[in-house]
Amino acid sequence: MRVGIVGAGSMGRAHAAGWRAAGAELVGVTSKTGISAKALAEAHGATAFADLDGLMAEVDVVDLCVPSDLHHPMTLRAAAAGKHVVCEKPIALSLAHAEEMIDACERAGVRLFVAHVLRFFPQYRTAAEAVRAGHLGNLGVMRFKRVSAPPRAGQASWFADESRSGGMICDLMVHDFDYAAMLAGPVRRVFARSLRAAHPDSPRDYALVTLGFESGAMALVEGGWAYPAGVFRTGFDLAGSDGLIEWDSESSESIRRYLLPTGPGEAAEVGLPLTVMAEDPYTTEIKHVHDALVHDRPFAVTPQEAATALRIGLAARASLRSGRSVDPAEVA
Amino acid sequence: MRVGIMSFAHVHAEGFVGNLRAAPGVELVGFSDDDAERGARFAEAFGLRHLARHEDLIAEGVDAVVVCAENARRRELVEMAAAAGVHVLCEKPIEATLADAEAMRDACEAAGVTFMTAFPMRFDASVRAVKAALERGELGALVAVNGINHSEIPKAHRAWFADRELAGGGAVMDHTVHLTDLLRWMTGSEVVEVYAEVGNPFYPGEVDVDTAGLVTLTFANGVFAAVDCSWSRPTSYPRWGHLKMELIGERGGLSVDAFSQALTGFARSLPRNPTWIGWGADPNQAMIEAFLAAAAEGREPPVTWNDGYEALRVALACYDSAAAGQPVRLTRD
Repeated sequence: MRVGIVGAGSMGRAHAAGWRAAGAELVGVTSKTGISAKALAEAHGATAFADLDGLMAEVDVVDLCVPSDLHHPMTLRAAAAGKHVVCEKPIALSLAHAEEMIDACERAGVRLFVAHVLRFFPQYRTAAEAVRAGHLGNLGVMRFKRVSAPPRAGQASWFADESRSGGMICDLMVHDFDYAAMLAGPVRRVFARSLRAAHPDSPRDYALVTLGFESGAMALVEGGWAYPAGVFRTGFDLAGSDGLIEWDSESSESIRRYLLPTGPGEAAEVGLPLTVMAEDPYTTEIKHVHDALVHDRPFAVTPQEAATALRIGLAARASLRSGRSVDPAEVA
Repeated sequence: MRVGIMSFAHVHAEGFVGNLRAAPGVELVGFSDDDAERGARFAEAFGLRHLARHEDLIAEGVDAVVVCAENARRRELVEMAAAAGVHVLCEKPIEATLADAEAMRDACEAAGVTFMTAFPMRFDASVRAVKAALERGELGALVAVNGINHSEIPKAHRAWFADRELAGGGAVMDHTVHLTDLLRWMTGSEVVEVYAEVGNPFYPGEVDVDTAGLVTLTFANGVFAAVDCSWSRPTSYPRWGHLKMELIGERGGLSVDAFSQALTGFARSLPRNPTWIGWGADPNQAMIEAFLAAAAEGREPPVTWNDGYEALRVALACYDSAAAGQPVRLTRD
């Protein structure tokens, strides 16, 4: 399986490591500026390509780790070239684009995987297995937390541009929308309140989104680009008719560092609080994709599910605009 | 001051016995309860005088009472106390309907007695520290609050909590009011809109009231807040539940877990394994003493009838919102 990565930011780097671990042949990398692509290609003994067409000519799979507004046009190009597509989340920024991508891949006979990596985080997987095993009975109230710092200025500044990323709700909270819908099924009502809706010029955002499911379950999804740099808190609380599962990122840290500053006047280093894992979830994800492609097995996340997660995010944004609850089925 | 407890229907009555005994200058006369079995049981448990009729307690010449009847039976007792010139500390939600709550206000105003709503969390040390931090401007302007007041179903302690007639509802009636009150108090602003998902996913077929609620409140000053009032903790949980808030302001975030000050105990003799054994100060003690001081000095109590009423309005609005599937507006004169 020959793979080409488009975009050499943090996702491109994480996926590159994943393809290598999966045993795929990472043929090449391309990126907008070319500089980051060269560095990433060199790190993995691959070739830096000047453009997408050059890269596509040499690979079986195109892995799109680019700003979200590029998912749609690049997927169409890759499908037209007969390449399988791996695409970061959200699948697209509109449902029309998502459907067009799904159709194009089906028509071209290529496969489309949208990288909802949360499904591959071991704590989320373990919780989902417990739900499936029936330990919780019927799900009643689910709570999800995902609050970090606002995206930094500079190369990753496209995150802050809602027309490119879908904003905090479609970029960040879409992880939990996907996971919640995977656990509890179709959502029929979405109601949202957010910081940005009230203060459109704020660099920060924070939202509380309530989901009502057809099953009668409900969920409160909290998302934010609201904390100081270095803080990233996540968690879930799944309550059902027969039991409860609680998890949060802070109380399960297996290692905490209390390092003294190394020089006078120097502040202690603050890092992303990623808990220690035997395998990076991005690697688990890419290994799964590789295995599914090589052996022609189904993906753990279907493109339709990725579109559903986007649909919930768009319903939340519609709720912010209208001040009403929104049925995701009615989102255009 | 001679004080009595009217009814042991509410679980909080048990704690109030100790609070009243510890309060300076209080003579705890006894309690009235028309449930003979319950009366005998708690008389025995607390070594406290039980009077079979509420009128008998009033006839003892008490100065103040704590009304711990079922939600829908408080009006009758409050009116009885007010008519005798007795001050009232009333459990939350103050009644099951707005009309009954208004009648209680009228009775207390006509009699000139103090009416205080029992919202103990206003007296909690951690909650007060958060309010002080907000007042110092630590967070800048408050933007949003993610509030949690989820618990186990209280019906193992008292069946009426899950009785529609006596409670007026379930989890939403039981738990929306605490955080609503704290948020009104901290923001100094009124709730103008309520959205709620309400349901009974936890005990279908067992109880006919709501056991889950996710509420979004919008305040006149623009602050928005979520309140999880669900009975979503299993009865095997290490404690009844939680009261937590995650506050987001202009200058960052602040979280409070009001019951985090607890030991984790494992023992055959403990009620649950493990059991979280709280060691933080009991906010009920400060609440009881603030009530008695206000009553003795004829001052406005720190938590008013209106505070209880506004919180009840929000709880009742949750049911309207859930029925409509849309937010409902709250208007005031």
